[in-house]
Amino acid sequence: MEARRTRVKLLYHTDVTALKEAFLTKRVPFDPALVMEHVVYMFEIEDCSRVTTHQLVRHRVASYDQESQRFSAATKEGVVVPPRVESNEAARRIFDETLKRVYAAYDELVSAGVAKEDARYILPNGIKTKIVVTINARSLMHIVWQRTALQAQWEIRELATTLHRLAKEATPELWTEVIER
Amino acid sequence: MRASLVWSSPNPEKTIAVAMRRCYSTKPIEDIEAELQQKGVEYWKYLLVKCLQDKSLDVLEHFTMTLLVEEASGVEVGELIRAFPYLRFSGLDSSSWLLSLNARTLVEMSRDAVGKALAKLVVGELERMNVSPIFNGVAFGGETHAG
Repeated sequence: MEARRTRVKLLYHTDVTALKEAFLTKRVPFDPALVMEHVVYMFEIEDCSRVTTHQLVRHRVASYDQESQRFSAATKEGVVVPPRVESNEAARRIFDETLKRVYAAYDELVSAGVAKEDARYILPNGIKTKIVVTINARSLMHIVWQRTALQAQWEIRELATTLHRLAKEATPELWTEVIER
Repeated sequence: MRASLVWSSPNPEKTIAVAMRRCYSTKPIEDIEAELQQKGVEYWKYLLVKCLQDKSLDVLEHFTMTLLVEEASGVEVGELIRAFPYLRFSGLDSSSWLLSLNARTLVEMSRDAVGKALAKLVVGELERMNVSPIFNGVAFGGETHAG
């Protein structure tokens, strides 16, 4: 169960220059605050846990499409190991042994003719997943503000920090204030 | 009311196909994109037809667009927002607005008495700019049904 880190890729984003031209056409000064809901980013997120995508999709002003466990077989190497389990030898042993039993049971259920959509009920929360997210800048800013807080869990804090970095690199004029906590 | 396209998602049909394949594939995004490139536009069209037939319209939400809407009153815009809360209107002056929406809302508007006039304007712009010929053909039969 090797821990491969979450990978995030920006697939496209709104061209802010095109929006600025619309302001110019109407002879109105460009206002970054006014375009926050018009600038959109589409991200691919790979190999984060379902724990974290459950937290992510609570942010409802966004569009999500996620790898389905109804149709795809669960992959055995695909579980996120929390650092505090990883660094604790006894905990890591319990974690790995339990996963082995769970995956063996999953395979047995599928072999016994149980549909993947039912066999998956036994799978762990930490299973890795892939998801595409299309989100506007205002909604993304809210995620960054909430999920980089110290109270947020380590995995979504890392994800929110990465999403922030990619959005800021793509559209720096919208991300001038410090919002990470 | 007039509408002119300001910006829209690049490769919209392929973007929708990526979102659709994401649900059914365990592969990394680069592999999905390579597979879609190799299978070509007829396959993207097949996926679009399927999502519309199955009414799995969520994948259309990844095709987004922004327009400059002119000669529209606050009353007209208010009526549209109440019917379609996912429309994003921002006022530039008393009758000009920046409008952002996704293709799912566009399809839903085209089937609705309140939304179809605006949908017709937006689809007309997509056609004029040749942004998404396959999507327009599949979703609106090559011309907007909104009229």
